[in-house]
Amino acid sequence: MEASTTTTGEATSNKVLVRANEIEKTYGSSFPFTRSVTVLTDADLEIRTGEIVGIVGANGSGKSTLMNILVGVLEQDSGTVERTGTVGWCPQEPLLYDRLTVGETFRLFGSGYGMTAEEIDEAKHRLASKLDFEQYLDYRIDQLSGGNRQKINLSIALMHNPDVLMLDEPYTGFDWETYLTFWDLAEELAADGTAVTMISHLIEEQSRLDRIYEVRDGQVYDVTDQEAETDATASERGEATDE
Amino acid sequence: MAGLPTMPTVEAIPIDLGRLLGAIFGIAIIAGLMGLTQMISARTADRRLVQTGYPPRTLLATRLATLGGVTVVVAAVNYGVLWLTISPEAPVLTFVFLVLAGLVYAFLGALVGALLPRLFEGSLVVVFLAMMDAFLSGDSPLAADIPEFVEYFPLYHPKELLQEAMFQGTYTTGNLGFVAGYLLVLLVLVTVVFGMTMRTSGGWSA
Repeated sequence: MEASTTTTGEATSNKVLVRANEIEKTYGSSFPFTRSVTVLTDADLEIRTGEIVGIVGANGSGKSTLMNILVGVLEQDSGTVERTGTVGWCPQEPLLYDRLTVGETFRLFGSGYGMTAEEIDEAKHRLASKLDFEQYLDYRIDQLSGGNRQKINLSIALMHNPDVLMLDEPYTGFDWETYLTFWDLAEELAADGTAVTMISHLIEEQSRLDRIYEVRDGQVYDVTDQEAETDATASERGEATDE
Repeated sequence: MAGLPTMPTVEAIPIDLGRLLGAIFGIAIIAGLMGLTQMISARTADRRLVQTGYPPRTLLATRLATLGGVTVVVAAVNYGVLWLTISPEAPVLTFVFLVLAGLVYAFLGALVGALLPRLFEGSLVVVFLAMMDAFLSGDSPLAADIPEFVEYFPLYHPKELLQEAMFQGTYTTGNLGFVAGYLLVLLVLVTVVFGMTMRTSGGWSA
């Protein structure tokens, strides 16, 4: 199957916003005697409006590769990705310009999204207030702590109110308060119809997720029901212990 | 004496020519490394920016414009140092040709950076290129029997232009045309390679 990606129209309620079919990806090298690594084989996935979707899996299972393909920054070897609406992507490592200030960073990425100066300004102040980095708007990115840099990284993904939000471990470096604020924000966005997809490692987060996909052996499995059963069993055990 | 082996004659290069070669090598290596780092340092952030919908050509144009500006500054410093020891026949032309030599290597460094996005390996390539280029293009007495293809090396024609402007106060349009063509080809190559590295499978805007 040939690789293809399409991005179309506006999102409507309960609609599939991202659909990946039979995705295959192998990392290789054109140099002789080098190893190639097959990461994804025949991976399928759907993301709908208003869902909070978790992508889980062991280290090196291909979660970030899958997300990068869904976002479009990495090309799959074969299979199709269909995207509807606008996308916001928060990569695992903050991909920002070190020598720009926070305000300049918003202006640059905002212009990329096609936002007006007023829209950029409004988004900057809204997110700075929400994630508590108002005092750093004039700081250069390389003068920020890891946690604050991650806040900017996340804000850049959110600033244009995307239909689909793709987050690769977005809370790395967040303090507890910011972590809780992040979840409030994710739930608000999902309630407004945004499809929130995130790579997650934390078991306790799984109760917050509407759907859980596990990347295993190159394929993607919907394990939402299994996780719910596990949660219920754990809960029952907890009650039994309490009694 | 007939029994003695014949040795190549080593002529001492005039000291002014040596200074000129030093200036052109200096600007080539600095501009080349700047071009390289410009392309490598923010590559992943560039990719994210382009994915948001920012036009890659605008991004490349701003990068190259910055590179051009910094090259002019480096050329000015280089020219100042040169001016302390030599009085060029045509000062403005000398400066302009020094800038052109810098631009050729800035674009070459940018091309290497776009093709080989690793700072250490890329730096080795740029430094090696500049050294070989300056050595062969510079009429070094140590580089005897220079083959004809050296005329196509990046610094050969800028060096000729600089030499003419500095010592005779003139320039040859053929050399200038060659340098302009060189810059144009490098610009096209950088644009194509940068566009390929920034290619994404579909944008984000609806």
